[in-house]
Amino acid sequence: MATESRQSIEHPLGPISPEGIKSQEMFLNMGPQHPSTHGVLRLVLTLEGETIVSCTPVLGYLHRGMEKIFENRTYMQGIRYTDNTDYLSPMLCEIAYAGAVEQMMGLEPPRRAQYMRLLVGEMQRIGSHLLAIGTYMLDLGAVTPVLWTFRDREGMMSLFESLAGSRFTNNYIRVGGVLHDFPRGWLAECLAWLDTTEKNMRELEELITGNEVFLARTQGVGYVDPQQALAYGLTGPMLRGSGVSFDLRVDQPYMAYREVPVNVQVRQEGDCFARYHVRVQEIHESIRLCRVAIENMPPGAISAHGPIALRPVRGETYFAIENSRGEYGFYMLSDGSEYPWRAKMRSPSFSNLQILPLLLSGYRISDAIAIIGSIDIILGCVDR
Amino acid sequence: MAIQPSPQNQLRGARARKDGQAELWRDLTALEHLLGQQPMISTTRGDIVSMDVEPVHLLTVCRFLYHQLGFNLLSSISGLDMLDHLEVVYHVRALSRKQLLQLRVRVDTQRPEVESLVSVWPGANWLERETYDLFGIRFRGHPDLRRILLDDDFEGYPLLKSFQALPPVVKDRATTQIDPNFAISERFQTRHYEQGAATRVGQGKEERLHPGTPTFGDTQGEL
Repeated sequence: MATESRQSIEHPLGPISPEGIKSQEMFLNMGPQHPSTHGVLRLVLTLEGETIVSCTPVLGYLHRGMEKIFENRTYMQGIRYTDNTDYLSPMLCEIAYAGAVEQMMGLEPPRRAQYMRLLVGEMQRIGSHLLAIGTYMLDLGAVTPVLWTFRDREGMMSLFESLAGSRFTNNYIRVGGVLHDFPRGWLAECLAWLDTTEKNMRELEELITGNEVFLARTQGVGYVDPQQALAYGLTGPMLRGSGVSFDLRVDQPYMAYREVPVNVQVRQEGDCFARYHVRVQEIHESIRLCRVAIENMPPGAISAHGPIALRPVRGETYFAIENSRGEYGFYMLSDGSEYPWRAKMRSPSFSNLQILPLLLSGYRISDAIAIIGSIDIILGCVDR
Repeated sequence: MAIQPSPQNQLRGARARKDGQAELWRDLTALEHLLGQQPMISTTRGDIVSMDVEPVHLLTVCRFLYHQLGFNLLSSISGLDMLDHLEVVYHVRALSRKQLLQLRVRVDTQRPEVESLVSVWPGANWLERETYDLFGIRFRGHPDLRRILLDDDFEGYPLLKSFQALPPVVKDRATTQIDPNFAISERFQTRHYEQGAATRVGQGKEERLHPGTPTFGDTQGEL
């Protein structure tokens, strides 16, 4: 009845049916100051009603010229700047930079340093994934999880503070090893934190994973097929959520991962829920790896003896690690001086963001928030 | 969970990597039939197989790698300024073979142009835009070659070694006090540009020179 009454509307241009309503495409500027774009990402969306027709990401609002900065700093000074690229997993970034310099110099850090790196790296991965899940739920309208995950992440932050001296940009990893050994009682505290986090994770999963609203907003949304994911160079949970088992910790093991086996977490669905669930599973896997590292922590030196002013011999190398977002690597070229001639950063967020226009087209605006959140980008890493 | 002591495991890993590389090396020599010449293969630090490719052969080589050898993931594209020439360095991965390969293309400084690889790996799109943005290397056949990280009206390519940014110009009075017609005139703008270029502040200049030593202020050549 309702449709019939609407069809009979008198209009100067003739009768209008609800199906045939003429509408116009609209431009919508999302960002760069939008809370759900996780930083300063700007999206220019073309809308047809509520549906997204096309999307053009505009980057560069946080571009600081990191690669130029690396060229003007010595090898040791460069480590500090990697903290500000992927600022939610600074420890992992430092490991990548230091690892690249070590590979170029043919330097092998002592076994204890490798295990320490594994431990702090996995702790960082837990913290990063916790924050990713918490803010993702905040984007979708749930406020409780972000408070819970920040509470758990706080434990990691205070442990890092007592270890490295600063909470956020740690500057802890050095070329050839690490800066300090663990303070007395630190490992016991770390174990206690792992236990608490594991207990809290179960609660968090009960809250989120079975939630009908969450499932309705994430299942079947933002589907990436495995072929597409590979073609666009996705790595990390984005790729593993699409059913491709690729983890640099397993496929090209580096440092202590050559001895500690890692179970790769893969989901086949390829939607936002799969990516979320890969992150949850990786938190559990990282907790296990942390315990393995603490249990098998070898004694010995924490740093290789090397010169203070590093002058690697002329040469080049590429070294990549599995960051919490994917393959984070450095291509480095040395001309024999104290400064790297070129230090190119391979950032996972930059490559992962590239598929966004493809993902968004055809979905509604509210789904756009869910999709952007599931990619888990860090704009410091995208813009460098 | 107990872990076996390291040396055996590490050795096994190293040997597997060596074997894989020998296999990759053998596969790459098959390119000789395609290119009509022996491919230039070497290894970098950390035992990464690296191949020098002529710019004309780049697309052929990449199609061969993608379709025949299964290199399905393009990891990164880096520009490189070697002063007398530019280079583009590609890192590609084969997931099934667990291998990493580095390709290196030499580019002329006067006409910096390479074939675009978007037709092989769609993910090359932004990576090439970034290289164009920071090095000014043009990619032939790229669907949308614009700057990506810097402003569209930015002048110069900042990762070139010859790039010298101007220090901020200190104006003697506020810009708004200048007659707008004069402010947009060419004479006004070039005056400030030249003034800025002439009075480069010491530290900024010293830091940008490469390789340089860090200085604390302009010492005017005496310490």
